[in-house]
Amino acid sequence: MEKRESLWEAYLRRGLSRRSFIKGCVALTSLMGLSTDMVSKVVEAAEKKPLPVVIWLHGHECTGCDEAFIRSASPLASDLVLSSIALEYDHLLSAACGEPFERHLEETIKKYWGNYILAVEGAVSTTDNGVYCMSGGKPFVDTFQRVAKGAMAIIAYGTCAVSGGIQGAKPNPTGSSGVGHYTGTKPIVNVPGCPPIPEVMTGVVMHVALFGKLPPLDSENRPKQFFGNRIHDTCYRRPFFDAGMFADRYDDAGAKAGWCLYRLGCRGPETYASCGNLRWYQGMSYPIQSGAACIGCANSNFWDSGASFSERLPKYGPLGDVDTIGAGLAIASTAGVALHGAMSVIQKQKRAAEEAEAEGGAHK
Amino acid sequence: MQHDNMKIQKRREYYLFSPWLRIFHWVMVDSIIVLFVTGILIGKPLEIMALEPTQTSMLMNWVRNIHFLAAYAFCASFILRIYGFITNKGDRLFPRFWEGRFYADTIDVALHYMLLKRFHRSYLRNPLARMSYAGLYVLVAIEVLTGFAMYYMTNPDGIGASLFGWVNVWLGGEMMTHLVHHYTAWAIVLFTSGHLYMVTRAEFMEGESEVSSMFSGSKLLEHVPVDASDVDVTEKV
Repeated sequence: MEKRESLWEAYLRRGLSRRSFIKGCVALTSLMGLSTDMVSKVVEAAEKKPLPVVIWLHGHECTGCDEAFIRSASPLASDLVLSSIALEYDHLLSAACGEPFERHLEETIKKYWGNYILAVEGAVSTTDNGVYCMSGGKPFVDTFQRVAKGAMAIIAYGTCAVSGGIQGAKPNPTGSSGVGHYTGTKPIVNVPGCPPIPEVMTGVVMHVALFGKLPPLDSENRPKQFFGNRIHDTCYRRPFFDAGMFADRYDDAGAKAGWCLYRLGCRGPETYASCGNLRWYQGMSYPIQSGAACIGCANSNFWDSGASFSERLPKYGPLGDVDTIGAGLAIASTAGVALHGAMSVIQKQKRAAEEAEAEGGAHK
Repeated sequence: MQHDNMKIQKRREYYLFSPWLRIFHWVMVDSIIVLFVTGILIGKPLEIMALEPTQTSMLMNWVRNIHFLAAYAFCASFILRIYGFITNKGDRLFPRFWEGRFYADTIDVALHYMLLKRFHRSYLRNPLARMSYAGLYVLVAIEVLTGFAMYYMTNPDGIGASLFGWVNVWLGGEMMTHLVHHYTAWAIVLFTSGHLYMVTRAEFMEGESEVSSMFSGSKLLEHVPVDASDVDVTEKV
């Protein structure tokens, strides 16, 4: 295996100063959600670790995750792709195509067996032997499993790769599901979101690249540093929630004034992501800030959560939601027991009368 | 001393409920009322007529805190109930599925409640009631599990989250946890209307001291209930 250069060597080759290297490492540290006393470790890793080989596969998806990824500002996606990782294969970002491109994938797998990182976007489609998602003439599910076998670790980018995505919504005609079922025992990092925040995407791959191991994960295999907070708990509109000030429609005064979107079905209280603290595009904004209720795109099955995106509770046609149905049932059951009580009294009186009669008869 | 208008009756005292169970019961009644009202307000918050959060009384914050306080009070009182469960026989009136008699008794009581029979045999706690209380505990357990699963996830790294966080995963997302919590609350309300009716009916129509025993702990009965052996009996005149 040829010698691969480290980040520091890449800096040297390009004639960049030690100072800018250290600055880069400090930026990386905070990006990866690590505390600043980890800087020395990051520097050490960046000096010694060879740049990680990354194979980036695209499955059943819209490539929106990549669209987000290339808009990462710190680090710039171009910096990451060109000098922080050795991106060997990527459907979307590669200039090459056709036979040579596919051959390169095979060569890469062989050459770096057991050492490359597999980044995957998109669900695997399994119905009819996976013919609904083909690439290079092969079902994606097969390609994925083959590449996954030799991977050091797998990063699942986007809700499709994590849990099936929109095409996995009921009735799921293509049999789409998250890649997690097809990875065997390989360690996997789930980075859900539709798409995930660009800096989260780059941060995760940099963490794996530099430390050679997965970041700390939660129970759903999501990196804790980016998915450790509810959007509701980090939302800048939270004070309006606590005060009870809500927008009821998207065009009312409350919405205009930027009040809480809870009543409009905001999924912030159920969703874990960095939207509230990291925000999007250099901290410019995020859905709630731009006036739209969170739809919980980082949640598995968010498209089938029962309630429509602009409501908190599912509605059952003319019956309304559970509150109307529950109140109706409560009234009905109260009426029911009242009726039952009345009939019980009648029954008891009859019984008493019959017993009295029987007693009277016995006395005669 | 004896008067003409006095009636002398021989009654047996069946000591059922330890003070711990009774305290738990009444704490549960209060906390469920508070939890339900505040819970509905959390699901559908009231409109506050204010222009700035600083001008409001932070009502939602209060409602949520009261909800959590009531939840903790409820759970704390359950510890007492566990103590009573261990020390007192009458606190352990399970539905006895493992006894053949249980099924015949269930049919007996059910026929009477369907008004197809004039009466049913007397029980300290009849099989249908036993099943309904077991059912209530299941509902309450669902509320506690889903409630803490949502509550503790403000800090997914904490002890609480590691104890209850699996509920969210198991139900397939926290949105589902919210819905299950909300729907089960209504099921408890429906239980309540049936419960109130049945105990009142037993107390005043069947002479079963269903209501009074939850205050005094004992049932003073003229007749001998079928399941009398489930508790310790003291004779009283």
